[in-house]
Amino acid sequence: MKDGKLLTMAIESSCDETSVAIVQEGRHVLSNIIASQIKVHQVFGGVVPEIASRHHLDNINHVTDQALAEAGVTMDEVDMIGVTYGPGLVGALLIGLATAKAYALAADKPLVGVHHIQGHISANYIEHKELEPPFMALVISGGHTNIVEVTGYNECRVLGKTRDDAAGEAYDKVARVLGLGYPGGPLIDKIAKEGDPHAVEFKRVFLEKDSLDFSFSGIKTGVLNYINSEKQAGREIQVADVAASFQQAVLDVIVTKTVSAAVKMKKDKIVLAGGVAANSKLRSMMEEACKKEGLALYYPSPILCTDNAAMIGCAAYYKYKAGVTDDLTLDAIPNLPL
Amino acid sequence: MYILALETTGAHASVAIIDEEERIFLKKSDGVLNHLQHLMPMTQELLAENNLRLSDITAVAASQGPGSFTGIRIGVSSARALAQVLDVKAIAVPTLKAFAYQAPDYKGLICPVFDARRNQVYAGAYRWENGAIQEVVTGAPYLIEEFLEKVDAAGDQRMFFGDGTKAYADYFQEAQLAPEEIRLQSAASVARLAKDLFSQGKAVSYEELKPNYMRKAEAERKLEEKKNE
Repeated sequence: MKDGKLLTMAIESSCDETSVAIVQEGRHVLSNIIASQIKVHQVFGGVVPEIASRHHLDNINHVTDQALAEAGVTMDEVDMIGVTYGPGLVGALLIGLATAKAYALAADKPLVGVHHIQGHISANYIEHKELEPPFMALVISGGHTNIVEVTGYNECRVLGKTRDDAAGEAYDKVARVLGLGYPGGPLIDKIAKEGDPHAVEFKRVFLEKDSLDFSFSGIKTGVLNYINSEKQAGREIQVADVAASFQQAVLDVIVTKTVSAAVKMKKDKIVLAGGVAANSKLRSMMEEACKKEGLALYYPSPILCTDNAAMIGCAAYYKYKAGVTDDLTLDAIPNLPL
Repeated sequence: MYILALETTGAHASVAIIDEEERIFLKKSDGVLNHLQHLMPMTQELLAENNLRLSDITAVAASQGPGSFTGIRIGVSSARALAQVLDVKAIAVPTLKAFAYQAPDYKGLICPVFDARRNQVYAGAYRWENGAIQEVVTGAPYLIEEFLEKVDAAGDQRMFFGDGTKAYADYFQEAQLAPEEIRLQSAASVARLAKDLFSQGKAVSYEELKPNYMRKAEAERKLEEKKNE
């Protein structure tokens, strides 16, 4: 507690970002330090769990010191500790958890376990101070593609999810095939701006009628097959066209399903969350679709789209306000359901 | 003076506190490989049962490895975080060397052997000489046969410890194994070695408490192999 305001320390380490934040009254970020490992994993073309875990351990205590210093707060003034306990890479999660639990014990603070997706959704509460549930959320990242009906700060329901690859994963794989590098999302988004999104009509996979689930493994194969057949025919691959067409095909499905979920469940707002929510094409397509249906659209600034602890702090705050805390047996749950 | 010691490198986690008079307070988990769940509650219970508070702790020690990578990280990150908040020193305890304290009266070679899979072990050989631990075979990764040859060359009476004696049971049929109750890692011996290190001025800041995996991540090894091809 500082100046009569509740302070949350939050820790996030579910994938390749080590992050610690200090958040005041849930929505006001005093510090949000993110130690990214992107460069470390780039040479491997993806996140290597063992290496990610090693780096989390190397970085986490220093990141905490920085978060406290930048916020101008002492550990004594912190009211509770929020931490991601799933889903994510188990070895990565447990660094944040072991650290958070030791902090909670040593500083005698309550502990609040946070679902990573709940955190991503909450990033929007930080960005948009007026935003309140209910709304329809699209959570889209390297590990997740979910349509989530959010009915309260701590109440939500998954209406649709991917049956195979996450959208971000499909981006990574296609970027690799096109020789663009890692991570694929921002690279495809960038080069797609110079391409024709209708140069190649890749199959849009809508699954069964009324289903809000996704499948992205087919489009990856589609891109691969297209490239091979073009090469066999001796034609040069137009990378920008392929990237733009791939992105258009993926986003057509995502935007259509999200908007129809909002309309069906009578929501007047759509909220984007997760790493891919920073994608410029997704944002512009969503803007257009929402305008057509008279829906309001919210998304966080890029820094709050990526994995960060501030969003975890916000979600922890609303759990804590609802009287939910965890004890020191809190475990990492890699496949934690929402 | 009280040193808190965490041991999470093997199948069972344990927590110990050692005091000025070298009295040991110990708590062991019955569970297998659920260190993250049990470590802090066990620490809390151990303190409470002995009427101690965290503010009484002078330094926090962790068994730094080798052993299970995940286990090492749970112990080291917990110890670092405790030391950071309590504003006390940390102590990095070499896991293999700590086995010397499992048999402080034994005259021969004390040989901890951990299973590192694919015929490999993390192992070392230690001997008590005039109240000090001598490292006769350096604690390191070895092929199991390579390690046993080194121990043979040291030509001494010897006793084997660690889960490697089970994983490579064929190699230890004739060997003297440590009694079961002292065969595996224990926070009690980690605490004893921690106290020695502390009195030798070898305590460090929480950020200098590092894990000692003794092996690179597999992806790193493969990348290096590729580069060398």
